[in-house]
Amino acid sequence: MDMVLEADRLGKRYGSTWALRDCSLHLPAGRIAALVGPNGAGKSTLLHLAVGLLKPDSGAVRVFGRSPYGDTEGLSDIGFVAQDTPLYRDFTAAELVIAGGKLNKRWDAGLARQRLAQLGIPPDRPVGKLSGGQRAQVALALALAKQPRLLLLDEPVASLDPLARREFLQSLMGSVAESGTTVLLSSHLLADLERVCDFLIVLNASQVQLTGAVDDLVAEHRQLVGPRHDGGVIGGVAAVVRASHTDRQSTLLVRTDGPVTDPAWTVRDVSLEDVVLAYLADGTTQTSHSEWGVAA
Amino acid sequence: MIWLTWRQHRKLALYTLLGFAVLAAVLVPIGLSMRHTFADLGLAECLRPSALSEAAAQTCDVGLRRFSDRYDSLNLVAVLLISLPVLVGLFWGAPLVAREVEQGTHRFVWTQGVGRTRWALVKFGLVGGAVVLLSVGYGLGMSWWVAPLTQAAHEGRLGVIVFDLQGIVPIGYTLFAVALGIFAGTVWKRMLPAMGITLAGFIGVRAAVEMLARPHYQPARTQTFPIEGNGIPEGDRGNWILAAGIRNPDGTMVAENARIQCPPGGKGPDGRACGAELGLQPGAYNWELYQPADRFWLFQGIETGIFVALAVLLLYLAVRRVRRIA
Repeated sequence: MDMVLEADRLGKRYGSTWALRDCSLHLPAGRIAALVGPNGAGKSTLLHLAVGLLKPDSGAVRVFGRSPYGDTEGLSDIGFVAQDTPLYRDFTAAELVIAGGKLNKRWDAGLARQRLAQLGIPPDRPVGKLSGGQRAQVALALALAKQPRLLLLDEPVASLDPLARREFLQSLMGSVAESGTTVLLSSHLLADLERVCDFLIVLNASQVQLTGAVDDLVAEHRQLVGPRHDGGVIGGVAAVVRASHTDRQSTLLVRTDGPVTDPAWTVRDVSLEDVVLAYLADGTTQTSHSEWGVAA
Repeated sequence: MIWLTWRQHRKLALYTLLGFAVLAAVLVPIGLSMRHTFADLGLAECLRPSALSEAAAQTCDVGLRRFSDRYDSLNLVAVLLISLPVLVGLFWGAPLVAREVEQGTHRFVWTQGVGRTRWALVKFGLVGGAVVLLSVGYGLGMSWWVAPLTQAAHEGRLGVIVFDLQGIVPIGYTLFAVALGIFAGTVWKRMLPAMGITLAGFIGVRAAVEMLARPHYQPARTQTFPIEGNGIPEGDRGNWILAAGIRNPDGTMVAENARIQCPPGGKGPDGRACGAELGLQPGAYNWELYQPADRFWLFQGIETGIFVALAVLLLYLAVRRVRRIA
């Protein structure tokens, strides 16, 4: 399978803190991938590394087989919308389309204008005066006008209201469905992306917790409910992701590698959200009792 | 890129030109009236290096005094005008990168098809070019405006404030201010801190060069003349006097920053020899350490070179830093 984005033990450090560490993942072509993790998990860092804004401190990242940092040629294949959709606020949407044309070799201004017209974006108002949803749409239209093979969107819907979120994602899906563009979009809420993505990367505490196709992930995880579990081996279970116990009962979310046949356990299917939450809860929070001067 | 740079900065360019137009509207009438007075008082004749008759010298003295009485306050205006290059650095240089980063638009523009190195080179180049044009205009205008003031002043064009206003040094100062602003913006990445650092850095470097380096661009000359005699030697006008004083014949400094002029054979009120009450021995002389007036363009060239070199270094560092900002 063609890999669009490959990271191999990728790491990025700010001072002495690692924003991203030992990150290894592969994103196959044609996928709509969700990059999910809480705030500060390293999502933006990963996207910035992928678009060449940042230079890795360890490991490597490859986009279409090329290392993106300092690679101007490779930039034309990547569309990127940064967090909070930064645009020159005093430019009108029409001027931004012109600017994009001056800044890119491959540029479909007609496509951008078509999209913006369809969405009812006024061409002659400064984009700083547009609503957040409209501004996000302008940023998306500009990214799509590059006709990228990979589209990276950093928290594209975080600042949008629910209606604008749905519209944004709908218009995104509509346009990439035809072109076969690979999309990687990040959010701290899976719920935002669950309906549109078919591939998932979960980041937490600067590390990759989970990565894979959504169907596979849902298929290989199960919830087991049964007698209190002491950590012994259960047939068909590859790993226990998360366990919660009462006095007599244990509830486990497990990754399976075969059917669980032990009759002591009740096996239930899980939703994608259950899986993600289980992996996110697994990440350890660094406590800061001493900094706060309070007892642990 | 050129279109983008123009589109981003056209408002600032308009305001800058407007500011200069207003400035010109104020200064040109003053300059014209200054020149009229200068001509009316016949001062051009006075300043020729030729011997003047006793009466003509008297008239000239009166004329020069009247001229300075009337226009001395303009030296304050000249001090204000010196600050123009740093204003260009603050408003053109500091926001160039800092504003992009502050508003996050660097992530938009640096991920388009032009690399950020090219972005930086084109942008710095265009802004630098515009700034050079601006400062050439400023330097020419100021040279014209300040000429009568300079000629009437004893120190001439090498004097501390007027030297900084005219000729080619404004080009160096302005380029340096803008480069410093750009560089500060790549390090602090916020507009206000970048502007603050630019202001402080500019004043610091300018003051250091002016006070520590400029007097030593060329070995200073000394001249001495007796305390009894007919005034200052010829050609003294326009020299930049770094230090002066009165020395005894053995070379010891008796009075710093002083000068005595007695008529030949003149005696003090108590009948003692000229300057005896200061402890001057017979044969004491006035002493001056100075840079001659004809070194003006050499000093202009050296000073401009220093600031242009600093600007180039800062721009190089700024381009390198731009590659590391995310």
